[in-house]
Amino acid sequence: MGAAGKKEKTTKKKEAKDARGLKHEEAEERVMEEAPRARSEPEAPDGGGSPVDSGSDYEDYSEDGDSDFELSEEDLESGEEGAAGSGSDQDDSEDGNSEEFELSESGGSDSQEHKGFVKTSNKGKSIINHAQDDSGSEISESDQRAEESDSSEDEVPSRNTIGDVPLEWYRDEEHIGYDVKGKKIKKKERQDKLDSFLASADDSKNWRKIHDEYNDEVVELTKDETRLIRRMLKGKAPHAGFDPYPDYVDFFKWDDAKHPLSNAPEPKRRFIPSKWEAKKVAKYVRAIREGLIKLDKPKEEPRFYNLWGDDLNSKDRAGHLAYIPAPKPKLPGHEVSYNPSLEYIPTQEEINSYELMYEEDRPKFIPRRYTSFKSVPAYENAVNESFERCMDLYMSYRAWKKRLNIDPESLKPKLPNRKDLKPYPVTCYLEYRGHEGAVVSISTEASGQWIASGSADGTVRIWEVETGRCCGVWSIGESVQCVSWSPLSELPILAVAAGQDVLLLNTGLGNEEDQKKIKDLLQVEISGTAGDSDEQPLVSWLQDDRHKHEAIRLRHFKTVTSVEWHRKGDYLSTVTPADILVVWYFMTMHLFDGAILIHQLSKKLTQKIPFKLHGLPVTSVFHPSRSIFFVSTKKNVRVYDLLKQKLVKKLETGLREVSSIAIHPQGDNLIVGSREGKLCWFDMDLSSQPYKTLQCHSKDITNVAFHRSYPLFASCSDDCTAYVFHGMVYSDLNQNPLIVPLEILRGHVSSNGRGVMDCKFHPRQPWLFTAGADSVVRLYCH
Amino acid sequence: MDGDDFGEETSRRVQVRFVTKLQAPLKVPPASIAIPANLTRLGLSTVVNNLIQSGDPDWNPEPFDFLIDGELIRMSLEQFLLAKGISAEKVLEIEYIRAVAPRKEEDASEHEDWVSAVDGSNPRFILTGCYDGLGRVWDAPGSCSHILGGHSDAITSVSVINREGAESVCVATASKDRTLRLWKIHTEASLNSSATMRAFKILRGHKASVQSVSASSAGDMICSGSWDCTINLWNTKELAADNNPVTVKKRKVNNQVEESQMEEEAVSTLVGHTQCVSSVIWPQAETIYSASWDHSVRRWDVETGKDMLNIFCGKVLNCLDVGGEGSALIAAGGSDPILRIWDPRKPASSAPIFQFSSHTSWISACKWHDKSWFHLLSASYDGKIMLWDLRTAWPLAVIDSHKDKVFCADWWKGDCVVSGGMDSKLRISSGIPI
Repeated sequence: MGAAGKKEKTTKKKEAKDARGLKHEEAEERVMEEAPRARSEPEAPDGGGSPVDSGSDYEDYSEDGDSDFELSEEDLESGEEGAAGSGSDQDDSEDGNSEEFELSESGGSDSQEHKGFVKTSNKGKSIINHAQDDSGSEISESDQRAEESDSSEDEVPSRNTIGDVPLEWYRDEEHIGYDVKGKKIKKKERQDKLDSFLASADDSKNWRKIHDEYNDEVVELTKDETRLIRRMLKGKAPHAGFDPYPDYVDFFKWDDAKHPLSNAPEPKRRFIPSKWEAKKVAKYVRAIREGLIKLDKPKEEPRFYNLWGDDLNSKDRAGHLAYIPAPKPKLPGHEVSYNPSLEYIPTQEEINSYELMYEEDRPKFIPRRYTSFKSVPAYENAVNESFERCMDLYMSYRAWKKRLNIDPESLKPKLPNRKDLKPYPVTCYLEYRGHEGAVVSISTEASGQWIASGSADGTVRIWEVETGRCCGVWSIGESVQCVSWSPLSELPILAVAAGQDVLLLNTGLGNEEDQKKIKDLLQVEISGTAGDSDEQPLVSWLQDDRHKHEAIRLRHFKTVTSVEWHRKGDYLSTVTPADILVVWYFMTMHLFDGAILIHQLSKKLTQKIPFKLHGLPVTSVFHPSRSIFFVSTKKNVRVYDLLKQKLVKKLETGLREVSSIAIHPQGDNLIVGSREGKLCWFDMDLSSQPYKTLQCHSKDITNVAFHRSYPLFASCSDDCTAYVFHGMVYSDLNQNPLIVPLEILRGHVSSNGRGVMDCKFHPRQPWLFTAGADSVVRLYCH
Repeated sequence: MDGDDFGEETSRRVQVRFVTKLQAPLKVPPASIAIPANLTRLGLSTVVNNLIQSGDPDWNPEPFDFLIDGELIRMSLEQFLLAKGISAEKVLEIEYIRAVAPRKEEDASEHEDWVSAVDGSNPRFILTGCYDGLGRVWDAPGSCSHILGGHSDAITSVSVINREGAESVCVATASKDRTLRLWKIHTEASLNSSATMRAFKILRGHKASVQSVSASSAGDMICSGSWDCTINLWNTKELAADNNPVTVKKRKVNNQVEESQMEEEAVSTLVGHTQCVSSVIWPQAETIYSASWDHSVRRWDVETGKDMLNIFCGKVLNCLDVGGEGSALIAAGGSDPILRIWDPRKPASSAPIFQFSSHTSWISACKWHDKSWFHLLSASYDGKIMLWDLRTAWPLAVIDSHKDKVFCADWWKGDCVVSGGMDSKLRISSGIPI
């Protein structure tokens, strides 16, 4: 497109400054202002060579410039309308319009400056440049671009050969310059403004036409050229195909080169010894032989001996086998001065207190002040001390002491974060108040709705967990040692150990059917039946009618300390440790086995465990799933199989006195609390030694407990705290249990030297109940 | 009135305009005024009271609450604007509402034992349940009109069944004796002394303590949650005696009145919770919400008996209510001091949208106001009842008239809070403008 416009040769015209011409030139000007572009440098003559009178040209235009300006604006608009209206080349013209808007915005301000010209090549490539020789940024810019101009544009010969001279030199002439043959190029006849307007209105491509003043012709820009201008306006490279960021090509890559750079054979000199070197070597050899060159320099003796230097780092250490320098005596400080500062002088009380100290701890020298140096008396210990020093140096055994620099932090085991091990009991929200003495034992009912507590004031209370309401009080008469709910939620029977008796109480909870069952169960037909075939019954089963519900009283012959239910709720074991002296007697008599009894509720039978105990039993517990029975004596825990009736294992705790044991709900792990505040974790698969021993409490551990479903265990102690631990047991046998201390629960007040007496987990929630000697039961929730 | 009364030249001033939805005497002129930016709620309240007083000389000053962009101001205006990033250049539009706080404390109504349940859904009376096993109906603060006797253990929950009943109102009580009882209360029969009543129906079927009872909106069914982990649905209609003669028991009372007490089994049972169902709510005809000690809130479809929604909370839940925007928000509290509010309409998220944590102990009750979308109350074991507005994280008002744990609380007549607790008193805080 626009080929005709490109080739169009316009004739010279004197009336170049009519409105139409101006309009064209304005359009050119705007294009130039916005996009100063390359011109052919070689053809441009040296502009500096000839004087420039730009002012005249300027004035010429300014004569009617003011009046024409508005008109030309209108022309512009109408031209755009025409362009938009013409159906042909719609896409193009729209692009052009937008272009025009952009241009006219900035071009309006200096629309009167017409100092540029347009060169047109035969090939149609137009190179626009400023002919302005004034110093200015636009010019320097355009010059820069001119240097960068494409070489193909340089080849384009110009019609005019006047070179880069100011055009106003030819303003009054008939011609605009000379062609290649030296003939004058006549100025074109300028069209009438109205005609040109009409022509432009008809011509949809008018917006693309610009006037080349240098060659005095109208050039129509091709589509490619407008695209080029647009790209340059955006600051891109003129050619679309130009890639500003090409991939880097490494021409000098040596790594994988298979062939050497040069194929020349190795020169001979690489293979024969150098004659010059041989000459040089011979020269040196001769010089050394003659003694002109000395090879070992004499050692430089240090001028000063470092008196205070560290002997340890001296070279002697390496040379001698076992030289160990003597430790240095302490250097004298300010306090041995004849006139030390006041702060070094001890007061009379301090001096008196020295008298009370042991001889060894007493300071050997007491600083004193003297008015002058000469008044200092002789040091009476001088001879003695130097003798002792000599004796030390001579006699004392010296050895290198290795000091280990270990960061104590690195010795800590890496444990998971506490936050990841939630939920666990943290805060106390509820308190159960009502007991008048220390609460010795608590037990949770299987459903978790109730807890029972036994106190030293001789009462057993049942509390509603949710509200803290006391729902029942049983007055036993004697200090309660232990309370324990039956593990069956449909049989809410409470076993209470108090004095020599174990009471099985019907708590009155549960629905009618359950109550009926309990009533049947808690009936003793023949009072005073006993378990074994001995003449003397171990335990007498008695009906107890003193309470509002049914109860059975199991009368033992010794004080009962602990009651444990079997998981099926039919058997329960009682522990009756006797007095120490009596124990000794019984032990020798082998009558000690009666200390642990197992009762069967349904048959009202009592039997002693058929094993010989070695020591005083402390507590006993049933395995949660198998018929295994754990008995703890003061030192050890023995594991018995009740079916095979034999000892399975003996766990050596290494503790002084075991106070309590608890078994993990899966049955393979056991924790043991001791009176010295230590907690042992036994993994029964591993060994008979504890897997972990935790020294956590400062006083006796009174009880330990496992949670039934959450991986939690707790210990409570007489130091008024309860510790909660995360105790994860993995089903993978290769993985040892993970024990993480989680929380210290405080809140109980010490009373008579006792702190927290018992702790039990809620059966279903991660909550911990603690019973304190301060007669309060507390509930710690997550 | 351009703020000359507050002559603090050092502080910045903001242009504000007070708007309100309140009625005529509480309206202020809509002109914008400049007030110091460091004014708090009290200062703003004074400004508004002065403005009202200038139009109406015999106006008694009253506390107001202020909303900017739907959020209640709980700090100084300057801090609020800074915190919310609101420009102080423009004229600020502040909406004011009457401050929600009880104006008056009514006389306490004494009970024999701990008050465990209260229902104030009928504006004519308050129904309470007590640990002595008796339900009580209070016409007015301090005057007990009916005593509902018959339970053998503590009442845990009470519910008014048909709220619109004209002559007699049917109520339900749940108890730790594993039964529920239905009662008919004749409100018109004004007796000079409180009359002991007996239930017309005993609902047996739960295997453990019944913790909660709630009536359906239609009033023909009730549901109950229990410690046996189930939710039972029951019919409340009084069937004719010949329909089930087996379960009718005849009893003579003082040789005069022959009264029949029916027993009935549960219509259906919703099983799914694994622990005690501590609270049930039946807000719509087809859906029951329940909260449980197994840390979950469930929504049940009554027709199919399946749980449609299961929100896991992580804490034991004690109370539950549904209300708020579109009656869809679930508020629940439990074994920690945080009152949580969920929006079940939000897909795939079980995180609560609001958490209010000003209490210091377990939350025992929470109730939405039935008219307002924003207001709810919560009662806690720390002895406090707090009124909440969803538009602020601070409690609107704290009622600490109880001396010990509060077990139950409810709205009454729209402007009163009734509550009962461990101090065996029913407290009524009235005059709450919502």
